[in-house]
Amino acid sequence: MERREFLKKSGVLLAGTACACALPLLPAAAKSINVDSENTAGKKWGMVIDLNKCAKDCNACLDACRKENNVAMHGDKRWDIHLIRKVTLKRKHPAESPEISVPLLCNHCERPPCAQACPVKATYKREDGIVIVDHHRCIGCRYCMISCPYNARFFNYRENHEWPNKDNTRSSHGVPESCNFCAHRLDKGKKPACVEACEEINAKALIFGDLNDPGSDVSKVIAGNHVRGIREDFGTKPKVLYIGL
Amino acid sequence: METDFETIEGKSTQFSVLLAILAVLALAGLYATYRMYVEGIYLSGMTNRIPWGLQVILAVFYIGLSAGSLVISSLYAIFGKKEYKPFARISVFLAFLFLVAALLSIISDWGRPDRIFEPFYHLNPLSMLSINPFLYNVYMLICLVYLWAMFKEKEKLVKIIAPIAVIWAIGVHSGTGAIFGFVPRELYQSALLPPSFIAAALSSGTALMILVLLLLFKVTRRPLDENLVVRLGKLLAIFIVIVMYFVFVENAYRLYMPVSHEAGMYFLFGGFHSWVFWGGLIILGSIVPAVILFNPATVKRIPWIVVSCVLVVFGVLCERYIIVIPGQTHAPDLFPNMVVVSSALAEGYVSYSISFYEVLQALGVVGIIGFAFVLGLKLFKMMPTEAKVLKESDSVKSPSEEKELEKQTVAS
Amino acid sequence: MAAQNNNMEFIIMIITAVILLIPLGYGVVSLASSNDTQPFIEKPDEKYDKCVRDTEYMRLNHMDLLKEIRDDAMRRGKRGEITLNDCRKCHTSRERFCDKCHNVVNAQLDCYGCHYFPK
Ligand code: SF4
Ligand code: SF4
Repeated sequence: MERREFLKKSGVLLAGTACACALPLLPAAAKSINVDSENTAGKKWGMVIDLNKCAKDCNACLDACRKENNVAMHGDKRWDIHLIRKVTLKRKHPAESPEISVPLLCNHCERPPCAQACPVKATYKREDGIVIVDHHRCIGCRYCMISCPYNARFFNYRENHEWPNKDNTRSSHGVPESCNFCAHRLDKGKKPACVEACEEINAKALIFGDLNDPGSDVSKVIAGNHVRGIREDFGTKPKVLYIGL
Repeated sequence: METDFETIEGKSTQFSVLLAILAVLALAGLYATYRMYVEGIYLSGMTNRIPWGLQVILAVFYIGLSAGSLVISSLYAIFGKKEYKPFARISVFLAFLFLVAALLSIISDWGRPDRIFEPFYHLNPLSMLSINPFLYNVYMLICLVYLWAMFKEKEKLVKIIAPIAVIWAIGVHSGTGAIFGFVPRELYQSALLPPSFIAAALSSGTALMILVLLLLFKVTRRPLDENLVVRLGKLLAIFIVIVMYFVFVENAYRLYMPVSHEAGMYFLFGGFHSWVFWGGLIILGSIVPAVILFNPATVKRIPWIVVSCVLVVFGVLCERYIIVIPGQTHAPDLFPNMVVVSSALAEGYVSYSISFYEVLQALGVVGIIGFAFVLGLKLFKMMPTEAKVLKESDSVKSPSEEKELEKQTVAS
Repeated sequence: MAAQNNNMEFIIMIITAVILLIPLGYGVVSLASSNDTQPFIEKPDEKYDKCVRDTEYMRLNHMDLLKEIRDDAMRRGKRGEITLNDCRKCHTSRERFCDKCHNVVNAQLDCYGCHYFPK
């Protein structure tokens, strides 16, 4: 066989494969099935964490989150997943300042670098400001983890074997996770699990609500206190704000 | 001089053994990737703090090599330096293969390699990681057309494509630099990364090209004019200086600016990566080869050039390591006036160790492209019969070449 | 030498073609070799009253429906009366209601790595 012919034929083969691969690209009929509960319209979810009310040895929000979202604990610091985690901090000056305990979670940045980075739009910002990972689409490239300056993203390095809340999903390995403000609960009109847990023990350190609504709890707290996000100088405009940081 | 090209013979036992070894490597890589796909990529050395490891380092390294190879061929096509024509085909072929290697490395690193077509359905045009594959794929296409044009001896087409290919290569490397430069991390964020990527790419690519050529001509016992290699070596010396310049500017800036001073100190003196930086990139990868190549006594000797080329390639590999890894091991200072007492996540500086499975994957990629390269040499007329500096009367054929020709006729 | 070369090219072309056609061949062979040609009919459990769509539609297009509610929930924040969790109230077993057909037509599901559905 001639070399030219060979090249031609392999070219045809390749082109054929490309066409076959492109078939699913044909647009599916666009129609919406669920039309109720427009929970995203006009909202901007945000959270204020009052560190003065957050007890150092309380883990209610963490436990609630693990139970609600089936978060994997492998018992190894390298791979454990913490959608919300607590760090204990101490001021550098003065030296004997008391230790404070700070819950850290995804800040749901108004300008999320993680969503900018994701090559397939698996991480994206919903209309109501929640930054969320679509596990159906994610290819597991971990560029979002590289891009998040807050270490708020975690990767499912291993298979998760626990499944306490069967009504919610758990993550299979190969995709990253971060807090999504319990979007599945918000869409049904409930509050995030951690906020509910914090209210249940009457600590009320986590205040959650709609930042666009001046009458919401969270807006009132912001109006009456000095709040700030973590490292606002990154320019990401976090929507998780702290009192007493 | 008209350069003749031919295929290599590839009938000896060594040739088959080489192919077999490469195939085994490729299979080992496939096995490791499969294990990771089934069990999760915890088998690699990556952690929640270090989500990018060896595969990304190597991908970036391969992309750099690819550009350098292309430059050699452009020397002939753009600047009309006929004496480099013998290398043109091989170098474009290598450029293509290195890009394949880069893409293979990246894909084998994904958590869900089964979703390989997702990026085609849903593209995020703002993501550096989707702009780049676009650049890579077009680059591969350009390489193929370029190669085809050279096989067909379509001089005009070659002249048109060569500049396009070089410009596109510059885009590819700027884009690759931007993957890291455009990320809000203390040690990544930098507008200087794209150009310094180009410089590093040129130096490593040229060095590797020299090595490959010397090796090929030696193994297949073809005559190669040493002066050509010496010229390439001098070119390499210039590239090394440019790389050093970029490294210097970047670190001087980091150290000087109060905001990144601490990160700069960590980068230069903060742990294992600092050894890689000083020992690997600065001393072995830049100063030693620069001294060798600028010294008129040593630059004329092929063994010295080989040594410096090996060092340069090694140095650029080290450079890739210190681009990718320290940016992650360095902890973002989330609470500037507090100290972290305890946390469930490793919040401070962390370290990265390469795991066995990652090495297998990397070897697999080497196996795949090595296999393709050797097979390509056998199938397509890429090896020049000889290469020498022009001006001499070059119609006289060397005896060894005549022997080669004889062998061919006998075989057919 | 030349003849040798041509042979080589031909072999490589065949290999390429085979590799590209493996998925198709796999599907055809596994469909042909399955003797379960009518695996589909299975009545849901007693609770079953009426499905969200008629049977014919569900048989052919349930995946479109699922994808639609998936995108609604994930992307538009609309979680309405149809959810995968509700499906499992009547279709109580994934072996009986999903895997049977999916095995025959060789369509691999990866829903259940993340969504709960009893075996
Ligand atoms: S905190 Fe990190 S993961 Fe969350 S939105 Fe911001 S950049 Fe993204
Ligand atoms: S790991 Fe997934 S979510 Fe993150 S950037 Fe890659 S595709 Fe997007």
